[in-house]
Amino acid sequence: MAQVQTLDISPVGRVEGDLDVRVDIEDGVVVNAWTSAELFRGFEIILRDKDPQAGLVVTPRACGICGASHLTCAAWALDTAWQAEVPRNAIIARNLGQLAESLQSLPRHHYGLFMIDMVNKNYKNSPYYEEAVKRWAPFTGTNYELGVTISGRPVEIYAMLGGQWPHSSYMVPGGVMCSPTLTDVTRSWSILEHFRSNWIEPMWLGCSLERYEEIQTYADFMAWLDEKPEHANSDLGMMWRMACDVGLDKYGKGLDKFISWGYLPHEDKYNKPTIEGRNAAVQMPSGVFDGATCSHQVMDQAVVREDTTHAWYEESGAPHPFDRTTNPISNNAQDFAGKYSWATAVMHAERGHLEAGPLARELVYGGNHMEDWQHRDGLVLDMYKNMGGASVLLRHFARMHEVKYIYRMMERCLREFKLSEPFYVKPKEQDGQGWGATEAIRGALCHWIDVKDGKIKNYQIIAPTTWNVGPRTGEEERGPIEEALIGTPIADAGDPVEVGHVARSYDSCLVCTVHAHDAKTGEELARFKTA
Amino acid sequence: MANLLWLQGGACSGNTMSFLNAEEPSACDLVTDFGINVLWHPSLGMELGDNLQQMLKDCISGSIKLDIFVFEGTVVNAPNGTGEWNRFAGRPMKEWVRELSNVADIVVAIGDCATWGGIPATAPNPSDSEGLQFLKRDHGGFLGKDFKAKIGLPVINIPGCPAHPDWVTQILVAVATGHAGDLAIDEFQRPKTFFQSFTQTGCTRNMHFAYKVSATEFGQRRGCLFYDLGCRGPMTHSPCNRILWNRQSSKTRAGMPCLGCTEPEFPFFDLAPGTVFKTQTVMGVPKDLPAGVDKKGYIKLTAAAKTAAPAWAEEDIFTV
Repeated sequence: MAQVQTLDISPVGRVEGDLDVRVDIEDGVVVNAWTSAELFRGFEIILRDKDPQAGLVVTPRACGICGASHLTCAAWALDTAWQAEVPRNAIIARNLGQLAESLQSLPRHHYGLFMIDMVNKNYKNSPYYEEAVKRWAPFTGTNYELGVTISGRPVEIYAMLGGQWPHSSYMVPGGVMCSPTLTDVTRSWSILEHFRSNWIEPMWLGCSLERYEEIQTYADFMAWLDEKPEHANSDLGMMWRMACDVGLDKYGKGLDKFISWGYLPHEDKYNKPTIEGRNAAVQMPSGVFDGATCSHQVMDQAVVREDTTHAWYEESGAPHPFDRTTNPISNNAQDFAGKYSWATAVMHAERGHLEAGPLARELVYGGNHMEDWQHRDGLVLDMYKNMGGASVLLRHFARMHEVKYIYRMMERCLREFKLSEPFYVKPKEQDGQGWGATEAIRGALCHWIDVKDGKIKNYQIIAPTTWNVGPRTGEEERGPIEEALIGTPIADAGDPVEVGHVARSYDSCLVCTVHAHDAKTGEELARFKTA
Repeated sequence: MANLLWLQGGACSGNTMSFLNAEEPSACDLVTDFGINVLWHPSLGMELGDNLQQMLKDCISGSIKLDIFVFEGTVVNAPNGTGEWNRFAGRPMKEWVRELSNVADIVVAIGDCATWGGIPATAPNPSDSEGLQFLKRDHGGFLGKDFKAKIGLPVINIPGCPAHPDWVTQILVAVATGHAGDLAIDEFQRPKTFFQSFTQTGCTRNMHFAYKVSATEFGQRRGCLFYDLGCRGPMTHSPCNRILWNRQSSKTRAGMPCLGCTEPEFPFFDLAPGTVFKTQTVMGVPKDLPAGVDKKGYIKLTAAAKTAAPAWAEEDIFTV
């Protein structure tokens, strides 16, 4: 007999609507899972027949956390469609805005969304629990309060470029609207320094950024952890040790196939942007990493497919986004044998579902498929090899590890501005197809635009959350989070914080209504909220 | 101690993200210093207690007193008025919104989506979205034009896409400290203390506006964005240039035309081809003139302004 219990879990975080997760639990382990996105707003439909530049206004507002990333995609998509020339200063100003948003998200996600699970009562027997509560309890934890509040500083730099964060539209085809002055640059430096000297070094690392940058391998990291109490007791050190203590390095493996679009076009290599030329122009390389063969290859937008077999749309086959029609169906009843989500199953034409996110990026950066001048960092791939593959811990570590290059790249932007040169070259409006991509902090994001007769004929967005919360494909391959939930141990079915950890490690930022079912009888055990 | 519940409908979480940028008071200060007890918020990590649904039901039954109900995002009515395209805690969100609004002392709509529908309600409004008490300029919205929360006030609208964090925190502090009765609101139920003045009030380009010196293209170091680039600063009500964004700047200061996002029509002209970042004109005169100015007056004013314009006004002023 399945035991019927009420489960509860602290609800946290969402961005693009509600996510339902259904899990089947057998002998304390998740054996099957389904993810359903539960909100439809129809941005692609709103954009049809609108001004070609409407995406610059509308798409940042698709997501309050990743607005700069959407704007980046919208601008590059129009640049490629209009064959615009983009001056180097504008590329730098776009990159800087994108990076500022990402830097903001590190402490905000870490303290506001991820770490509060560590104060869950299920961990009260962990030797780290008392300290965790002191530091990370919502609102009152010492480091929660500082971390959440200081997360507002990096986007002050965004405001100098775009006037406000979130929801500016300062990136436009041909460049940017702003023309920063010397004081904007010096103020930005000061903000970066403040962020580093008040959070990154004293609280997050317990050492200088330079010392952290010396870490190249898993062995280096473990040596760093043991080197000084300041390292072990930093928020990074504490997070790592407690996560291992409660087993977050043991589950949440997922599909073991990853995608990154790469991002941050080099200021001198993408001034005449084309869809085909992008991979060779980005400082952070694109790629697909296949864990089964431990191999890398570059990623191409032409191989993207969207399968709607299990999604609430009336469209056949698995078309490329340029060929999508976005026909929602009215009846969105959850039918797990049929349609059960507003998210489509996004696929690589040959490889099926892929996982997007910081872990994907970092595994891609560990490859040898990129050009010499592009970013390479083997730490996370080395950890992956030494720790038995992906896990909740490695996924979250990869996100936070990015503070290293995000900070340095922001410094680089401030150095590289040539303030007396142009920030904008007026483009000629024309019909055409375009594609713009970036890496939002949460992963691979891109927009496709088709401009015809001076208006938008088709606009398509594939967000990192679309990749990760996607339902099964027509061939019944589970989506990334669905797959990552398989094998998750549930210590206390009354409070399955482990499911929350897996979902939050993907930073899907959705409130999930999790329906737990007994695998043998299918009887619903309980419902609870998580993200 | 005031109990606050914050829910999101057809939302992007942008108002929450904006709110988290607040300082003095910060989101944490609101809780620790001003006695606001956040019963639940989608992103702020509060413990749920036993069960979210039970807590919501307790609010509705009155066993938990709901002092402030904050709603972010549109009320989604699709498909066919059922609201099933936005489900929350097991039922259409709109059903929760109706019941919670009826028991709350005060109801606050934050951001354009909750006030008048915002971007999701842009034609053809695929999700059949509306604001709590308006749909664009039409009074009524989801709760109806006669709706009043228990304290006797209609929905307090704090528009903007997103709303500035200080607009939100100041109103919450006013309510939590017993000053709700001092709130003066305009015809769109916006607090006058923020929305009586214009976006242009305090803009660093005001001298260029006065002398009709236009920024003709983006990226220029001088000029007003109203004449060519579609800026709506002179006819939009907001304090964006009095209370700066992220403590640093504003869109018009940075060089981005105001989109009028605190007004019910945002996005203007439904983003029809030819309307984005371009001033709409008839015979060279802007279709939408600065608030209260008529066409004849505008022509006289700008002719005089051009004649009087000093030479420096044509030179770069926001220089390196």
